[in-house]
Amino acid sequence: MLASLALRNLGRNRRRTLLTLCATVVSCSLLILALGIFSGMLADILDSTTGQYHGHLVVSSPQYPERRSLYDSFEEDLKTQEALLRHPGITGLSPRLRAFGLLSFTRAALPVELLGIRPQREASVTRLGQQLVRGSRLDSAGGAQPEVLIGEGLASRLGATVGDELAFMTQAADGSIGNDLLRIRGIFSTGDRNRDNQLALVPLDWLRELLVLPDALHELALRVDDPMEAPAIRQRLEGQLADADTSLAILDWGQLLPTMREAIANFDVSRMILIIILYSATGLGILNTFFMSVIERTREIGILLAMGMTPARVRRMILLEALFLGLISLVLGTLIGIALTAWMHQVGIDLSDWITPVTYAGGTIAPRLHATFETANILMPALILLGVCLLAGYFPARRASKLQPALAIREDA
Amino acid sequence: MIHLENVSKIYRTGNREVAALLDFSLDVARGEFSVLAGPSGSGKTTVLNLIGCLDQSTRGRIEVAGMDVSRRTVTQLASFRLAHIGFIFQSYNLIPVLSAQENAEFTLMLRGVPKAKRQARIQELFERLGIAGLENRKPGDLSGGQQQRVAIARAMAAKPNLILADEPTANLDSKTSEDLLELMRELNEEQQITFLFSSHDPMIIGCARRVIELKDGHLASDSKDSAA
Amino acid sequence: MISSVQLLPLFFLLLSTPAWALDLAELVRSVETQYSGESSYSRVRMEIRTEHWQRSLEMEGWSLGRDYFLTRILAPDKDRGVSTLKAQQDVWNYLPKVDRVMKIPASMMGGSWMGSHITNDDLVKGSRVDLDYELRLLEESKKHYLIECLPRPEAVVVWGKVLYRIKKPDLLPESISYFDEEMTEVRRILFDDVQPVGARMIPMRLTVLPLEKPQEQTIMRYEKIDYGAELTRDFFSLRTLQKRP
Repeated sequence: MLASLALRNLGRNRRRTLLTLCATVVSCSLLILALGIFSGMLADILDSTTGQYHGHLVVSSPQYPERRSLYDSFEEDLKTQEALLRHPGITGLSPRLRAFGLLSFTRAALPVELLGIRPQREASVTRLGQQLVRGSRLDSAGGAQPEVLIGEGLASRLGATVGDELAFMTQAADGSIGNDLLRIRGIFSTGDRNRDNQLALVPLDWLRELLVLPDALHELALRVDDPMEAPAIRQRLEGQLADADTSLAILDWGQLLPTMREAIANFDVSRMILIIILYSATGLGILNTFFMSVIERTREIGILLAMGMTPARVRRMILLEALFLGLISLVLGTLIGIALTAWMHQVGIDLSDWITPVTYAGGTIAPRLHATFETANILMPALILLGVCLLAGYFPARRASKLQPALAIREDA
Repeated sequence: MIHLENVSKIYRTGNREVAALLDFSLDVARGEFSVLAGPSGSGKTTVLNLIGCLDQSTRGRIEVAGMDVSRRTVTQLASFRLAHIGFIFQSYNLIPVLSAQENAEFTLMLRGVPKAKRQARIQELFERLGIAGLENRKPGDLSGGQQQRVAIARAMAAKPNLILADEPTANLDSKTSEDLLELMRELNEEQQITFLFSSHDPMIIGCARRVIELKDGHLASDSKDSAA
Repeated sequence: MISSVQLLPLFFLLLSTPAWALDLAELVRSVETQYSGESSYSRVRMEIRTEHWQRSLEMEGWSLGRDYFLTRILAPDKDRGVSTLKAQQDVWNYLPKVDRVMKIPASMMGGSWMGSHITNDDLVKGSRVDLDYELRLLEESKKHYLIECLPRPEAVVVWGKVLYRIKKPDLLPESISYFDEEMTEVRRILFDDVQPVGARMIPMRLTVLPLEKPQEQTIMRYEKIDYGAELTRDFFSLRTLQKRP
């Protein structure tokens, strides 16, 4: 009975209810859209480093991530790789070997990072070596002449282009001076200037020979379905690796990129702030609506009280009105919000004509508006909206329940 | 049924005190059909509000249906009203979003009476009050007389011991007033419900068995006394 | 047997009245240039021991004053012909396998030279200690001079402090200690096996100890030093560097 009365009361001043509803629905749906875009931006940033270099999980010797020492390598073991690939959530694995040394063309030599990869395996984890501006991809078969892909910045600093021969020099694992010629097969651009200025990709087997590290790897880079699941998968894999007694360690992207993890963790706070700001305004609007509605109905509420409705029931009735308003807003707002997010997810807005990529927290923010779905981005605005409606209904409801029936009835309608 | 003993109601406006009622005593027996008469501002409505537990006295003792209602919580008073008292107002005061039927059965719903029983009761009352067939109309679609009949049905629905009617005919034409008054008399006699009016309508005063006249918050005269 | 070279400081000592007014700069300079002299040809065996490997290199080298220096690996075969040229402040490597010359960029000057515990910076800046550092006689005992070198404010240097321990009375180096900016000793070079080379006495063995890695060391054993080599600046060119042995 209270419910039907509350619903009818909402329908009473239809225009006011609709206006309030508009405010709540718009704020809820725009909030969902904005958070989706925020998440999309963060996903872009995260992807710019994990998808363009690190991968989501990295298996290596425990010292390697910090020291990056040539000698902290481990022997390639296909069984371990197969076991990792079978693990749920893991979608790709790339074995890698890394060397630091000097690369030169005709001018001064430049310090570079040489990453030895198997191109097809790497493609299952990152886009390294695929975002080419010139030339072609590394051939997994490997020709007679060792070939290299270099970053755009590196190419221009070396003054070299596709087809040119570069000399590479480093210290091999046996102390000898490893040096060889590499022909440039392609030039890539990841959008991250640091990487484009100093990264070169070479075939894994060639690098092993040069470094005198047969069968050795420095790391296994893994890709997972959902980047946010990476820490959980890492924990499970840690147990698995410990059981296998491999003395290998595993890091997730959050550990590899602490600033990135922080930026993403901060999102929870930013999201809360955004929700609070937007909903404070909306909440005040609802509060106003309900106060007006209670004040207008003073006499009627007096009658209800006179007829024997308890103050608690009166309060419940007004709260129910707020709850219904909240539920309707929630349903409409969430549906519209999801629809907008879906549109922004599929279509998006390209901003590259106006904005250049921005580097943030070690990643690159792509110049586009693009939304991703995240449960919390929908759940939180929806549930908090309901809370805001109830809170905004609470004070008018309390006021209504405290009315003096004698005075209230005398009030002119 | 009603026992008022030296009851005063003093309103404070700023630092001025206005006594709406001063040392007022009254006894109304069960089944009476009485009217509180007097010019406006004489304290009629105050007496009705105090008896109806819509307001609290400043001083004095009030008993209604055998219960001392002067120091009770608002929730207790609400339950008390629900159990014992029906109200009829000058301007009907039906709930505009509810149909005639829903308005009338409101107190039954508050009491948790099952639907079938409610409907039977309302059916009976509407027929008795001559508004059968209007159950689904909203108050806005009813004439003043019809609205007041619904209001009477509402007041009667839960079979209260006492019905308080504040100027029930003031907004109605004399024909309708007469009909309604007649109806209330019959209900009073049939069901031994105590009726207490406040009115300066000579028709009501003429029809009442007892006229209690107030003036400036005092009892001016009581026809019961003069009869005695 | 006292050579004139050894008497030279004594001579200065007599000239400049206070006993401690020993020419410290000259003393340090003489240590840093003891293997090059005016010009020289030398053959060195370099034994490197690291945590991961151990190897022995045979090299020949030419030097002119303190600014020019060229060295070439003779053995082992894998690295034969790998050469280094130092001219003024620059260092080039020549890689015969790929027939390329590589100039070491400034950012890599701190890197190891030929895998040893000597850095490219050592090649360039070692000979400049008396210019880049403020020298002070820290201690004098019956057997030693201890010279403390602290960087001059304007100098771009690698070390926070360098300590030369020089033996009396022959004024030959015994050790050099290198300190980082926190004044922790991080490297020590020991000199021993003093032998006469022409008119001079030269410690023919030099041991570099990276103190952070106690199990590692580089030993440079001079097998031959010829101070009579006649060399001109033209010799220290990229053309000479690229000449295959």
